[in-house]
Amino acid sequence: MKKIVLLLVVTPLALATVLSTLWAQTPPLLPDSEDIPSSLMTFFVTSEPIGDGGNLGGLEGADAHCQALAAAVGQGEKDWRAYLSTQARPGQPAVNARDRIGAGPWRHAKAMIADYLGRRLARPLIKSQIHGDTLVEAQRGSNMIKAFAMTEHGEKINGIGDPLPIRHDILTGSHTDGRAFSDDVDRTCNNWTSNDEGSAQVGHSDRIGNGNTSWNSSHATVGCSQEDFANSGGVGLFYCFAVEK
Amino acid sequence: MNKHFVLTAALFLQVLGISSAFAQHGMLGGTPMTFFVTSEPIADGGNLGGLEGADAHCQALAEDVGAGDHTWRAYLSTQERPGQPAINARDRIGTGPWYNFDGVMIARDVAHLHGDTLELARLGNNLTRVSGLTEKGLIVPGLYEFPHPRDGDWDYVKTTPNSNRHEVLTGSQPDGTAYPPEMDYTCDNWTSNADPEPSDQRIPLTGMPGKPNAQIGFPDRNGGGNGSWNSSHGTRGCSQHALVRTHGIGMYYCFATD
Repeated sequence: MKKIVLLLVVTPLALATVLSTLWAQTPPLLPDSEDIPSSLMTFFVTSEPIGDGGNLGGLEGADAHCQALAAAVGQGEKDWRAYLSTQARPGQPAVNARDRIGAGPWRHAKAMIADYLGRRLARPLIKSQIHGDTLVEAQRGSNMIKAFAMTEHGEKINGIGDPLPIRHDILTGSHTDGRAFSDDVDRTCNNWTSNDEGSAQVGHSDRIGNGNTSWNSSHATVGCSQEDFANSGGVGLFYCFAVEK
Repeated sequence: MNKHFVLTAALFLQVLGISSAFAQHGMLGGTPMTFFVTSEPIADGGNLGGLEGADAHCQALAEDVGAGDHTWRAYLSTQERPGQPAINARDRIGTGPWYNFDGVMIARDVAHLHGDTLELARLGNNLTRVSGLTEKGLIVPGLYEFPHPRDGDWDYVKTTPNSNRHEVLTGSQPDGTAYPPEMDYTCDNWTSNADPEPSDQRIPLTGMPGKPNAQIGFPDRNGGGNGSWNSSHGTRGCSQHALVRTHGIGMYYCFATD
């Protein structure tokens, strides 16, 4: 019965999605590296959310979550920061996510990966130009792509076409340029302290959804509870970057 | 009936942005398809018979699936030649909006498609691995999906429909305009199937003096260090084999102008 219901809903979606789901399960040709995680990792997507919706305990709580996850895979020596903005409050200036993460380029958790020619390369970099600061950079796009936006364990984040549940909504609270929003609308679940009222701006780790390909500013969530996040395809994951101590 | 299951499925559709376009191409009341990626290449490398040959291929593929009542144009630029001005791909495709086989909107207009402003460019259009469908409604197999040691070999690729073929010919810069005429980015305005002499694996994937070359993009946005849909990098040469070695087979985008 469940399958019939699903089929009825999904059929108009076309063969494409079904096929892609099958494809996503095809084992890759190249074996995963055995030395994951490598000590060179400077970027990951949290494998687990904090689990209290948009209440991350502020930036401090979010950074601590990054640090704890990194430490659990032996990477606690570095100084980890969550890619999150906070909005201006009386007596408290805005914080821009882009200013918290160093200059890049960054290295994800996998030691070996096939590059765009299928060559097996060590640690392709996530280039520094992730924000599209010039028009041509923005038009070309960054290589913050699904294959690189992986967890600290080197696992992919389920996105469109992957088995449900989808976890591709990544909290950022940021504008496409990586800066905090300057309007009066809540974009940060009250600076990452709310688990009910409000909204958070999210990007998509697979760069698919909502009519755009933004990794950091695709749309807003419908609320700040854990359930609200699930309603738009996320669980409250966020990006973590290592910065120089 | 499992409420959660239905909710999840509905959510899935919503995320894909097609909640307003349930009906498919070909279904009564469906949004007519005005964009597709060619399901088949012309298969003579960069020699498409010029823009006319490329347009005719779009038209023929569209007619095969009952979409021949539109005027179809290949998304390809040509470079300036003596007595012959450059043609920009972005100027050939009408004004949009364009919808794929499933009725999913790829872009509202030319500016949205190309990201003419910084904000539009950072957000990007809606051409992705799951929306960049062929005229038959199928996904274009992308990088990392079915990797195989022979996926750079045309003899293997032409009989293996799921092999990587994500590099789509455009001959265009990121803004959809033609390159200046000095170096080849269009396989000599889509008439050449030549390779560099001597064939050299180390030739960079870009235009170089005297090198036959075409600029390509990817519907799956994966590769080239940028993931551009229309201008990521060049090719090894212009023969069918050279295109395959770079991970394409000479497919391209077709847009309906009306």
